[in-house]
Amino acid sequence: MIFADAIFILIALMTMAGALATVLARSIIYAMLGLVLTMFGIAGLYIYLNAPFIAMMQILIYVGAISILIAFAIMLVGPLSQRPREWTTPTRFIVAFVVAAFTFFVFTKIVVRSKWLPGMYSTFSLTTKDIGRTLFDKLMLPFELISLLIVVAIIGAVMLALFSREEK
Amino acid sequence: MSEMSLYNNINIYLFVGLFLLACGIVGLLYRRTLVSMLISIELIMNGAGLNLVVFNRFVAPERAYGMAFTLFIMGIAAAEAAIALAIITLIFRRFKNVESDELKEMKD
Repeated sequence: MIFADAIFILIALMTMAGALATVLARSIIYAMLGLVLTMFGIAGLYIYLNAPFIAMMQILIYVGAISILIAFAIMLVGPLSQRPREWTTPTRFIVAFVVAAFTFFVFTKIVVRSKWLPGMYSTFSLTTKDIGRTLFDKLMLPFELISLLIVVAIIGAVMLALFSREEK
Repeated sequence: MSEMSLYNNINIYLFVGLFLLACGIVGLLYRRTLVSMLISIELIMNGAGLNLVVFNRFVAPERAYGMAFTLFIMGIAAAEAAIALAIITLIFRRFKNVESDELKEMKD
């Protein structure tokens, strides 16, 4: 148990360090790499939560698709040498920090005061089959709406690229 | 014995999700370029997905609703990233600039 706990703490710390690097990194490439680190850490947490299918989907979709998309956008938006500075005035950092600290404080208070009683320590054994049954029995309409949303997004992205090319 | 392990504690997972939310808010308010703000939004969505799976695991373990909605969040995040990055490249082509402070007009 000690070994599992140590690896769990390591993964949680890795996730939080990645989030900090994402926010505070000076270069946007390092910010993207911090995002990738955070996503891998969250996949590890999913494995600790007995959800290996979600962990696999996290790595495939977030790390494999979205970060690559963001990397392409970073490379398309101008050369790195002419990039504007990411850092802004200290006033703005103080404002952002105060807002985030307030949010953190309020939600921490809510989490600490709540009691999550039912099923807290029950055995949890939901397999991929259960996810599929839930998805296609109970959540059929949201599933179809998500597919429609993705089709609309793909067509929209293609149309945006085409029209901008014509205008030029 | 194993029930009292550290990774069976719901508060640690919630704390990690909350930390991701706070970092996303800081990045959203503090960063200058549009791509960095999009990266911060992805952080917030990751925290939300983690919270859904955690509540499915600890509070309502009968059915896999939380995991299914985490899959929905991943689909929505992918669609949102595709559209937002197309718009960002479009803005860069027209204005030669992706700083959120400089983008003040909708039509030139």
